[in-house]
Amino acid sequence: MARKHECIAMLLAGGQGSRLGILTKNIAKPAVPYGGKYRIIDFPLSNCVNSGIDTVGVLTQYQPLVLNDYIGNGQPWDLDRADGGVHILSPYQQISGTEWYKGTANAIYQNINFIERYDPEYVLILSGDHIYKMDYSEMIDYHKEKNADCTIAMLEVPWEEASRFGLMIVNDDGSIAEFEEKPKNPRSNKASMGVYVFSWKKLRQYLIDDEADADSSNDFGHNLIPAMHQNGERMFAYQFDGYWKDVGTIDSLWDANLDLLNPKVDLNLDDDGWKIYSRNPAAPPHFVGSNAELINSMVTEGCKIDGHVDFSVLFANVTVEEGAEVKYSIVMPGTVIKKGATVQYSIVAENAVIDEGATVGKSPETMENIADWGVSVIGNGVHIGKNAVIEPKAMIDSDVGGAE
Amino acid sequence: MSANDVLGIIFSNAYDEVIPELTALRTMGSVPYAGRYRLIDFPLSSMVNAGITKVGVITNNNYRSLMDHIGNGKPWDLSRKREGLTLLPPFSGPDSGMFKGKADALYGSISYISDSGKDYVLLTDCNVLGNIDYDDMLRYHIEKKSDMTLAYAEAIPPEIKNSVEYTVDDDGRITESRFVDTYTSSAKFSLKVMIIGRTLLERLLHEANAKRISDFEDIVSPCISQMRVYGYRQESYVKVISSIRSYYDANLDLLDEKIRKDLFPADLPIYTKISDRSPTVYGINSAVGNSLVADGCKIDGEVENCIIFRGVTVAKGAKVKNSIIMQDTVIGEGAAVDCVIADKDVRISTRKTLSGASNYPVYIGKGIVI
Repeated sequence: MARKHECIAMLLAGGQGSRLGILTKNIAKPAVPYGGKYRIIDFPLSNCVNSGIDTVGVLTQYQPLVLNDYIGNGQPWDLDRADGGVHILSPYQQISGTEWYKGTANAIYQNINFIERYDPEYVLILSGDHIYKMDYSEMIDYHKEKNADCTIAMLEVPWEEASRFGLMIVNDDGSIAEFEEKPKNPRSNKASMGVYVFSWKKLRQYLIDDEADADSSNDFGHNLIPAMHQNGERMFAYQFDGYWKDVGTIDSLWDANLDLLNPKVDLNLDDDGWKIYSRNPAAPPHFVGSNAELINSMVTEGCKIDGHVDFSVLFANVTVEEGAEVKYSIVMPGTVIKKGATVQYSIVAENAVIDEGATVGKSPETMENIADWGVSVIGNGVHIGKNAVIEPKAMIDSDVGGAE
Repeated sequence: MSANDVLGIIFSNAYDEVIPELTALRTMGSVPYAGRYRLIDFPLSSMVNAGITKVGVITNNNYRSLMDHIGNGKPWDLSRKREGLTLLPPFSGPDSGMFKGKADALYGSISYISDSGKDYVLLTDCNVLGNIDYDDMLRYHIEKKSDMTLAYAEAIPPEIKNSVEYTVDDDGRITESRFVDTYTSSAKFSLKVMIIGRTLLERLLHEANAKRISDFEDIVSPCISQMRVYGYRQESYVKVISSIRSYYDANLDLLDEKIRKDLFPADLPIYTKISDRSPTVYGINSAVGNSLVADGCKIDGEVENCIIFRGVTVAKGAKVKNSIIMQDTVIGEGAAVDCVIADKDVRISTRKTLSGASNYPVYIGKGIVI
């Protein structure tokens, strides 16, 4: 039996993230690279450590290899602890049978024994889908102050985007009056961030009841939270102000990366008081050659830049050769962009090769029909042949031969 | 035989006096280099890459920055239940205290050496900059049935106290050693990196202690005529830091692609303490060429032929050329800097101009505001 912990975190990292297409073909969404040297999961994990939460269960199911390897013993986040620390929780066989995690609530239900080992008062439920810096300890304090059973983090989104979110109508005292799931005509712009604090005794009971309900899809948002609300439990909304972005689609992943180059965006990754930790490759500093033109961009260790880079985020060990051009693009670790190649408005995944003279993506201004425009995506390890042309919006999953 | 039979010993303070500016507050081992490293990262990583799992770091003074850097040895995978990294500071006993020489320092750690139970000991200083394949050197030592193997390079020798050159026969055996007296022609000079049998080392140290010999060269040179002493030729890039000028040159050497490949081959990585800085951000006014830049910098000015360490700011309109700019230093708007070594946390204020010469770089001490 472990020592009692007041609050532990459970991080739902089992989702496929199917809207990210080929980027999540072999890796779970929380392992998708972001911001030059991070993966999405670095944000909730770093937030936990910075908030004083030292016990985190990471629930994995879809393509967990890269994620498991990345998290390892949790040392990069100071989560290699004698007491607590980070634990990978995948579905396992039980005497009653073997089941995959059927839904978010079921995933937690299957790990009730893990949670009970720490005998917590509160459980923080997180997802591995968002980029944000948040002090969870303040939210837990709010939960205690309101004597709540469930507290949901919310942020105010622009009214015109509100219909894409799960919304809450909130009373003056902060309690939640009503939920609206992606309504056509929103009555609120207070969106749920997918961050929940539950009083564990209460959550435990609802998990058991939810499991017993054969009609339930065992999901927090669709089943468990509405059930708590219906029964009149004390549910509160906790307002968060700051940068928060769901990176669930190609466009939002592209946007969220380029946000880092916008000085007006409130997301400082170099904040000594709130560091975002990650597992670092052992690579020397990046080298900028004499032919390079490098502006408005983010570059990290191991890169070699001798071409023209503008408004882009380059991950570790990326090479941009002389005469190559990279604009408005995200280039993930180990990719090589050869002489005279052009990559714009694109996401190029890890270890790809864009051969000499190839063209990937197009600027929206050059399109005849803007509806045909979109970010081009090149998958992991894909080779784009010499002088090949990759259209906007394309998702390239296998090698493309050269052209004359 | 494997490198696991080797005990690594690193002298972190050896030759501190050749770069007094940089070692005023630190050891030679903790002198910053190449944007994100400390000099000790090179021998330490080479040892780990060779499979050595037990390393003692001998320190004499000013070793707080070194302790801060190496910690428990985790970045080098040397934080182990068995073996791993040990710091060996001086301790006061009836006849010990601060070390007078390397032999003295080793004698102070003789129980650590004998208790290791290893067959071989690898000894190195920290001012030898290179990615030496110690595994290959050990193989050579065993193949030659050598009693003592000394690494050397062939070039103009470093102008440094006890600079030694060797005569090496066709078999690789060292037949003669002498102190270097001219620094103008190429010679096979000692890198002060050695592999020796542990029991032989212990015997030599006991003898030296009895004779009150504190200098290591005085132990090694008589062995050349009496034992099988071989020279291991280091072919890839290596540089012995012997002055502030050679430190400056060793940094700018990194702008040569071949030297970068020699120092940072993909299969023999150099490990260092992780600082979790964000990537470097280049602004709209940045113009950077032929430079090595670490993470966490904000560059919005001109940078040419430079080594830029972590967290450096180069403001709009600033011009930085032929310089080594260390961690968290700020070059203000419109400032111009040429042939300068700026230590950590230096502030060069707006529109100030500062310039040295390529054979005489200006050094600016830690935390100084100009």
